Amino acid sequence: MARTEDQRRSPLSDLLASRREPLAERWTELIFGTYPEETQKVWASNRDRFTNPVGEAVRQASREVLDRLLAWDDAEALCRALERLVKIRAVQDFAPSVALSFVFLLKKALREAFAGELDAEGRLAELLAFETRIDNMALLAFDVYFESRRQVFEMRVKEVKRAHANIVRLANKTHGDSSAEEAGKA
Amino acid sequence: MAKFSKKPIELLQSIDYTPPRTDWMSTPNDFSDGRYAYPAKPEKIEYLMKELPGAFANPREWSPGDVDWKLPPNWKDIVHEGFKERLNKYRSLKVFMDVCVRCGACADKCHFFIGSGDPKNMPVLRAELMRSVYRKDFTLAGKILGKLTGARVMEEDVLKEWFLYFYQCTECRRCSLFCPYGIDTAEITMMARELLHLCGININWIMEPVANCNRTGNHLGIQPHAFKDILDFMLDDIEAITGKRINAPLNEKGHEVIFITPSGDVFADPGIYTFMGYLMLFDAIGLDYTLSTYASEGGNFGLFTNADMMKKLNAKMYAEANRLGAKWILGGECGHMWRVINQYMDTMNGYLQGPQMSTPVSPITGTVFGNAKQTKMVHIAEFTADLIKHGKLNLDKSRNDYVKATFHDSCNPARGMGLLDEPRYVLKNVCNHFWDMPENTIREQTFCCAGGSGLNTDEIMEIRLRGGLPRGNALKYVQDKHGVNTMACVCAIDRATLIPLADYWAPGVRITGLHELVANALILPGEGERTMNLRQEEFEELNAQEEE
Repeated sequence: MARTEDQRRSPLSDLLASRREPLAERWTELIFGTYPEETQKVWASNRDRFTNPVGEAVRQASREVLDRLLAWDDAEALCRALERLVKIRAVQDFAPSVALSFVFLLKKALREAFAGELDAEGRLAELLAFETRIDNMALLAFDVYFESRRQVFEMRVKEVKRAHANIVRLANKTHGDSSAEEAGKA
Repeated sequence: MAKFSKKPIELLQSIDYTPPRTDWMSTPNDFSDGRYAYPAKPEKIEYLMKELPGAFANPREWSPGDVDWKLPPNWKDIVHEGFKERLNKYRSLKVFMDVCVRCGACADKCHFFIGSGDPKNMPVLRAELMRSVYRKDFTLAGKILGKLTGARVMEEDVLKEWFLYFYQCTECRRCSLFCPYGIDTAEITMMARELLHLCGININWIMEPVANCNRTGNHLGIQPHAFKDILDFMLDDIEAITGKRINAPLNEKGHEVIFITPSGDVFADPGIYTFMGYLMLFDAIGLDYTLSTYASEGGNFGLFTNADMMKKLNAKMYAEANRLGAKWILGGECGHMWRVINQYMDTMNGYLQGPQMSTPVSPITGTVFGNAKQTKMVHIAEFTADLIKHGKLNLDKSRNDYVKATFHDSCNPARGMGLLDEPRYVLKNVCNHFWDMPENTIREQTFCCAGGSGLNTDEIMEIRLRGGLPRGNALKYVQDKHGVNTMACVCAIDRATLIPLADYWAPGVRITGLHELVANALILPGEGERTMNLRQEEFEELNAQEEE
């Protein structure tokens, strides 16, 4: 993502960075909102990363992603930050659209916090310009989501193969076809 | 042009991605693909109905994805009568139905809830699916006041919901650990599944192994001669690795010990390496033992169906010990096999023990396993730990130097029998590098592999992966912190299900059985110099990879 300093530096960056924590917190809250109410209560109250891995992943990923979005200089790092959350939502009981809806919830958080203020100052265009980063991030999130799903399907196939590995090896050996055994290893 | 009632700035702020909310009781069931395991083949049910009348019913082609499940017309009576019968038979069930005060201590303890966020996976709510019907049918208040007391009429959707959620419980009993009343949620799941079976609602991943085990003794239905071929094949591999041809007695009479382990380890990668490990260990200590094809599956899938089926499959262990004249039984690394042995075997089948059976004594160390006095069955991790403690094994730990190990406590040995320290003791004696995962994820509090209780089937991979998140998350932590590259376990289902779990949540971590690592370090009398591990990977390459 080679860009000039001017392109990376959105005029809004400083303002957003100064209010990063409340923004991240609101985004976290909105992401929790995609889960049932009973669940939100539990996940919001437990701060242990081992007994509440989803809650903590949402909290941490939202902050990391926001930092990466503000810096806007490393697509790989942004994908890694996204992956933390996308991988989880890719195997939860969500339609793909809902799984990735969390990306756009950041727009909601941003607009709630800044749209009025910026509109009054006549700077709404800056917000809309910044939001293109979120749109781009959604596309990256789609890549990560698809890779996670591809892995799930691949694992299903591999698992079926492993379950009978020894029988297939034996069958190949019994029939004396060494090329079959080699093929089995591939 | 349409007129907007909001100002542009208000419109901009009005994006809403909040999903619609419904009360949990009336949330409709979703039977899309991937949300259920495939139902049993009718011929398996027909066979089992002949073998064990009364436990299974209604063989047919059907799919949970169809609207019509082809239930028997009187299914409501069947469930009601079945429920009544079990309430009378098991005092525990009645207590578990009545005593829950919905304190919520269990709510966030289930790996399926933690990973999915589906409130019906909170153990309290999962059990409530059954309790609500209990209240309506069997309590006065429920009969009169109905929904006010949380009572629910048994309708087809309720039954379908039972199927969805009692097959999203691995009977791991982590929730029970936190219940102030000690409600055993696994037993609630068992009862719900028994009732479902009476209507012909079942899954093939469980029923086919049960039918096969009943018929040939192993879960794949492999015939004895083919079983022997596969065993010989493993002996070939051991010879290639160690330069030594060892013996593996099969179906032989007159040995002191009969060794029983899950048949998955005979056929499946990487369980086979653990099985080879057992054979090498027994050779090293000169154990007087035999294997059996008839009792070759210790992992009793009957536990996941019906108490009588569990009893019937379990009885093979004593029947075969008697037929072959063994004094006691040594049991391999398995999860639910040990739940059955430790908690039900003596009560169910203890009377079948032949007069030749006696309290197990290690023939190598003389240790008396008083804890196994009732069942006559010793866990291999205890047996090996005792051998190591007495200095009876010649070990070269450095062969496992490429292994940076952690240990996954398999739910049933950990919570069902308190086997916590023995496997760790063994592991630390055969590996130089070992780190435990965080304390609230191991030992009694261990997180399930999410494939237990017959759920280790590939068609529900997503359910397993989200349920496996808490385990995978703790594994990732020690991988990042200590460079852990191997997770050892003492369960055949773990050895199968933890592989995708690790590949997804902590890529780069391999799964191994405890005795694979033992045999890797074990120096057999008369063996040649070893250059490879049990997987026939060269030590040189493995060490080089690790240094990178």
